[in-house]
Amino acid sequence: MAMKEQQDPSKILIVDDDIDVLNLLENWLSNEAFMIKRAKSGLEALNIVASFNPDMVVTDLYMDEMDGMALLNELHSNNPLLPVIMLSGQAQIPDAIQAMHLGTSAFLTKPVKQQELIDTVKRFLPNHKNQSSLAHFSKDIVYQSKPMEDIIDMASMVADNDVSVFISGPTGSGKEVLAKAIHNASSRRDNRFIAVNCGAIPEQLLESELFGHEKGAFTGANLKHEGLFQAANGGTIFLDEIGDMPLPLQVKLLRVLQDFEVRPVGSTKTFPIDVRLISATHRNLEEAVKKGEFREDLYYRLKVVPLAIPHLSERPDDIPVLAEHFLQKFAKQNSQDKKRFAPEAMKYLKKMPWPGNVRQLINVVDLCATLAKNKSIPLNLVKKAVNDEPVYIQTLKEAKYAFEREYLLSVMRITHGHVANAAKIAGRNRTEFYKLLSHYDIQPAAFREKLETD
Amino acid sequence: MSDNKIVVEVDEDLEELIPGFLENRNVDIEKLRDSLANNDFNNVTSIGHSLKGVGGGYGFELMSELGAAIEQAGKNSDTDLIAEKIDKLSDYLQRVEIKYI
Repeated sequence: MAMKEQQDPSKILIVDDDIDVLNLLENWLSNEAFMIKRAKSGLEALNIVASFNPDMVVTDLYMDEMDGMALLNELHSNNPLLPVIMLSGQAQIPDAIQAMHLGTSAFLTKPVKQQELIDTVKRFLPNHKNQSSLAHFSKDIVYQSKPMEDIIDMASMVADNDVSVFISGPTGSGKEVLAKAIHNASSRRDNRFIAVNCGAIPEQLLESELFGHEKGAFTGANLKHEGLFQAANGGTIFLDEIGDMPLPLQVKLLRVLQDFEVRPVGSTKTFPIDVRLISATHRNLEEAVKKGEFREDLYYRLKVVPLAIPHLSERPDDIPVLAEHFLQKFAKQNSQDKKRFAPEAMKYLKKMPWPGNVRQLINVVDLCATLAKNKSIPLNLVKKAVNDEPVYIQTLKEAKYAFEREYLLSVMRITHGHVANAAKIAGRNRTEFYKLLSHYDIQPAAFREKLETD
Repeated sequence: MSDNKIVVEVDEDLEELIPGFLENRNVDIEKLRDSLANNDFNNVTSIGHSLKGVGGGYGFELMSELGAAIEQAGKNSDTDLIAEKIDKLSDYLQRVEIKYI
């Protein structure tokens, strides 16, 4: 067998305490023109990784000192995307562990066959020479700080990878913006990006919203309804506030992620789906798992690649570029000349604690741009705007309003604008329900039209 | 035990590695016998496990099978069976003839 020619070969680190296994693996992989380094223990492997910077690690599970599992965890704590192929005896790796590293790792049973190893190596090697997705990100996300740069680097690497991405971060830090940017940088960008706030929709409706329902599945369900998973087929679904998803629905979501198919409520049929999942929450899910409020197996499936957006006050370097970006947006929307913050005003913005995060910054910028009489926004105006700006914590009235509106929209979507059915689901009479719709400026006709075009 | 040769087909790419590989297996046999004499079943199990993992990759399927048997017998501390399988492995190594393809 002749050596295959390859420029800029991928680098693979092989780890085993048995010299004959190392010889064999090196022989097989060198024949495929990969650049190989070998390590005889997990600790030696960790030392080599720092300088060799491999594209993949192939390791034995069963080793003295540090075994393959410990090595895998250590490697992934530094770089969750590094593909690792683990060679092990049968049934030595629990499902939960496998799921946790799903998408980046493979587990092969020994004795491994040459072709099986080579096929797996090729399948899991990242196409890391492709930098185009990073370029996509720069137009969607405004940042300057190191922590955000690290997140964007990671996000751009996974964008086209289809692995589950889990975004954590406080309310208002831009989780949905990041999710959308990942979608736009992926090859799914020509298909739909659908965002669902799991916390805003009641349990029974949420299931129907996500997976759809058959005609007659429940009272008021007079028409068949396609779920959002099916609507997002070929694209990306973003499940925000997934920490608020009720346990029974978590089981169903887990099944969808395992089988890549959905079964609408009341249906005996399943439908195949090809959807990339991005999820987010402001809650500490690890704690929720410990308390039994969130399924551990689902948690591991979701957080294959965790991205944690820091609080705005932890990345003050982003504040000037963000403020500038929002000023520009405001000027464009209101067809006026762009204003700018006076230097001392900007200094003040950078030092603010920003309890409401980026969302609060947007409100302050908009308020300043509205009130400033001149092109330059002075410090005293910024101080006034910050103090007057209560929007970062909604009032109870506002929160109720937002929730009710979101609820009514869900019911209208599910019933395709059939007001009598919607009223039944909501437990109101028709007259009351019509009043509610008009109060929230919701037009039933808009939902009916949608059905005709389906 | 017979004197007949057992022909094993091995990838020609591995030709350089085979003498060292087989030498290491003779070392394994010595270690297995020592471990058995000392009732060190953990070591027997561990060597059996390694044999199982490495034999088939080089083309020696029977070596993997004997390795698996030794591993299992080691776990059961089955002295007689371990001794029997070590003898089989030793016999196999003496009779094996390699044909590079």
